[in-house]
Amino acid sequence: MSRPARWRNLGWVLFFLLPSAIPLFVFTLVPMVSSLWVSLHRWNLISPMEWVGLSNYSNLLTDPMTRRVFLHTLIYVVGYLPIVYAGGLALALALNQRLKGRAFLRATYFLPVVTSWVVVALVWKWLLNPTNGLVNQVLGAIGLPEPGWWTDPHWALPAVILSSAWKDLGFVMVILLAGLQSIPGDLYEAAKVDGSNAWQRFWRVTLPLLSPSTFFVVVISLINGFQVFDQVYVMTAGGPAGSSQVVVGQIYDLTFRYGRAGEASALSWILFALILVITVVQIRGQRRWVHYA
Amino acid sequence: MHDSRRRSTQYSGPETRSLTARLALYAAVLVGAAIMLFPFLWTVITSITPEGSLADGPTLIVDNPTLGAYRTLVDALPIWRIVLNSLGVAVASTAFQLVTGSMAAYGFARLHFPLKNVVFGFYLATLMVPLQVLVVPLFIEMKTLNLQDTYFALLAPTIASAFGVFLLRQAVSAVPLELDEAATIDGAGHLRIFTTIVLPLIRPALATVAVFAFMGSWNSFLWPLVVIRSPEFMTLPLGLSTLQGQFTTQWDVVMAGSVVSIVPIAIVYLLAQRHIIAGVAHTGIK
Amino acid sequence: MRLLKFGAIGVTAALALTACGQGSATKEVAAPEGKSVVRYLNFSSNDGHEKDLTAIVNAFQTANPNITVQVETVPYANYFTKLQTAVAGGTAADAFELNYENFVTYAKNGSLAELKDVDSAAYKKSLYDAFTSDGKQYGVPESFSNVVLFYNKALFKKAGVAGPTAEWTWKDEQAAAAKLTDKGAKVWGDYQPVSYNEFYKVLAQNGGEFLNADRTEATFNSPQGVEAAKFLIDKVGKTMPTEADGAGTPDFDSKLFKSGKLAMWHTGIWMFAGMADAPFDWDVAVEPGNTQKASAMFVNGLVVSAASKNAEAAQKWVTFLASSDETTKTRLATSWELPPVADEAKLAPYLDQPKPANREAVFTALEDTVLPPVIERQQEMQDLVTTELTSAAAGRKPVEKALADAQTKVNGLLKK
Repeated sequence: MSRPARWRNLGWVLFFLLPSAIPLFVFTLVPMVSSLWVSLHRWNLISPMEWVGLSNYSNLLTDPMTRRVFLHTLIYVVGYLPIVYAGGLALALALNQRLKGRAFLRATYFLPVVTSWVVVALVWKWLLNPTNGLVNQVLGAIGLPEPGWWTDPHWALPAVILSSAWKDLGFVMVILLAGLQSIPGDLYEAAKVDGSNAWQRFWRVTLPLLSPSTFFVVVISLINGFQVFDQVYVMTAGGPAGSSQVVVGQIYDLTFRYGRAGEASALSWILFALILVITVVQIRGQRRWVHYA
Repeated sequence: MHDSRRRSTQYSGPETRSLTARLALYAAVLVGAAIMLFPFLWTVITSITPEGSLADGPTLIVDNPTLGAYRTLVDALPIWRIVLNSLGVAVASTAFQLVTGSMAAYGFARLHFPLKNVVFGFYLATLMVPLQVLVVPLFIEMKTLNLQDTYFALLAPTIASAFGVFLLRQAVSAVPLELDEAATIDGAGHLRIFTTIVLPLIRPALATVAVFAFMGSWNSFLWPLVVIRSPEFMTLPLGLSTLQGQFTTQWDVVMAGSVVSIVPIAIVYLLAQRHIIAGVAHTGIK
Repeated sequence: MRLLKFGAIGVTAALALTACGQGSATKEVAAPEGKSVVRYLNFSSNDGHEKDLTAIVNAFQTANPNITVQVETVPYANYFTKLQTAVAGGTAADAFELNYENFVTYAKNGSLAELKDVDSAAYKKSLYDAFTSDGKQYGVPESFSNVVLFYNKALFKKAGVAGPTAEWTWKDEQAAAAKLTDKGAKVWGDYQPVSYNEFYKVLAQNGGEFLNADRTEATFNSPQGVEAAKFLIDKVGKTMPTEADGAGTPDFDSKLFKSGKLAMWHTGIWMFAGMADAPFDWDVAVEPGNTQKASAMFVNGLVVSAASKNAEAAQKWVTFLASSDETTKTRLATSWELPPVADEAKLAPYLDQPKPANREAVFTALEDTVLPPVIERQQEMQDLVTTELTSAAAGRKPVEKALADAQTKVNGLLKK
């Protein structure tokens, strides 16, 4: 394409992009850059900032707490994503069929997504109560070990993962359902004519054509998963003994409870770098498996 | 408008023909639904239990059901004002995100321009810094612009969202290019292609974005907490948070508040669901 | 297009909203000639005392017709998030509330205006002095409350145990708790959270010191400290419910006591109102000590922002709110926290109220109180001490190791 041709669209590009670009720039990018500035200072929010250069970063990188919160966050993401994707896909497929009352069922599965974490956390703390919770009663009845869940440092994170996956199933379901709607029926007709069975059609038609939605779910779930906060805050507050503290939980505590906003900003930029790398890798890799129309 | 064609070609999932398989699926889905419904039911039940408590775990039978908690809620808070505030901001935020998001999605999916991926990267980057670290700089910015403590301040961070742009971009990408080309031959420009071809075809994605945009604004807590100080701008999550005392909490009232906050989003979802599900598959070109 | 129409309507609605928003935002700028507006941010009136605060505001405005008080109330859980952001943005209220634990941080960081010519004789001296920093008065005490031992008389009677007296020591409490605990009936003998707030108190009851005299070093990892921590931790699971039983979840202890399943409960006098309608007879006593008596006391103070343009009017308001007779009357009549006034005769109406019968204990406890040890990085210290103690209580660490670790970490906070 010649240079003028490449720029010919500019008017249209501005027309379509500026309505979103301007507010995103003013209300998100500008504060982001400010927080980068804050990350180079010592600041407790209530007295003037004090320049410290990169020392917030170097302190964080040598602080064992940083490694712990990143490890916990990573465990959360690795545990959460497969469960929520597989579960959400199964649900979307099941509720895409002509079942009686499926509109009601879909709404039911979406209900946890809209329920506040305060309520959901209370319910799950009760379900996962080590001594008399429903889950441990069932586990005990079938002879499985009964973990201490949120009272046990080894099980606090799994408890958070389980309840998060439960809450977000409906989110993934809704996105994948929308994706399923855009798969043309005639492709299935064609596949049937070719003599493939239902399982083969799932692998050869459904999954590939669902790949743009899958791509979206994976990218967004990773971006959000690395910033997990609400559920940890209300379920375990990072405990017991910091065993479920995650990066954003630490950022919140540093900013609003410990008066260390500079370090919190630095920590969030380290997190940013990690999420950015992961997202770029995915975008680069999408050509291999994401099929657009 | 495409109804007749859609009915005939709508994909309805891998067929599970055998009756037992269908029954098993149905049973599994129903059991799952019961588990999903449970916390909501518990919320409702606690809200109608006199002196409802959470310490003892849920009961499904209430001895003396009462609407007292709802009455307390109405007495304790200017609940109508609060709900209207939340509703107004959420509707405005949803409308803005649909317009700004679908336009940007079209730009990214259909227009060619230099550094497109870099620009899209900047959009996505706005999702990668946690709000917890942005609220203070954003608040200072709002104060500098003299916009703190206004409806606009509540709305500002949600006028556009990269989440919506991304989801809609995926949907626009799935619209066959042949449709655009045919329209171009008929003399249509970008604006007409966008409004008459692309928008109707991405209705499921628009409805999905609408649900999440509404929900995001409706449930938002930290930003309103920081930026609003006059009671007349108070939103629902802020109002509900005042029901929890420093030492004690009336859980029946808190749960009544939760019910009040869940029901509107559930309605929005039910309204949107029709569009999410009834999405037009394809128009026959392929 | 229906969709576009929807969009257009939404945008119009938004513009309309923005317009009215603008209208409201400009209103506060213009205070009428000769009048001043004092913005007052508080947490203590949330959830129950909003009307009482309004009554005090009205009394103040009647006495000072040139000053209008604008109240903003934020629940305690979010209060400091709100306050810090406002201070950072330069929009802090003219006057605000600070609990004693957080006062030092704000005073040391220059966020507060010095109060001048305050009538210090109106306040209980120890409370008034708590709000000085580097020899300057940066606040006045607003209210206080203390912790006493609540007990269920019916359970004591049933178990044949004599009720607690002011002479009780830890040993008496432990012995009674063991007799009162009946796990079969799900009745627990005792409840005292394993936390920073309880630890510094039992430490004082055992003659230990949390910090050295000039607050530069932690000294709680002492033989007295270990014994005190063990006193707390040994209760868990024996005479006191564990985390798995629900301890630590919201309102767990108050519901347990109110349902008649808890014999002794260490908690604050703020629970009097909530327990008034408990369906059994209960009373309070001064908390048992070990080598000495020490009752926890919590104090809220009132301060004026260093950035306030109405500092004079703001000081008028905070001193009125702290020590006027109207406030004292309102606080006592509504079982709010206690007023910090020096003249104890003014507190007499408090003793006349029914339930608990031994209200005198509230004042007896004041004879030997301990304030929370406070450092600049207060919240971090509280969190880490609580975390270490909880680890020991759950059996993940020996008590000695937990205290040693906590002390090392607190010293780290004091150095930075």
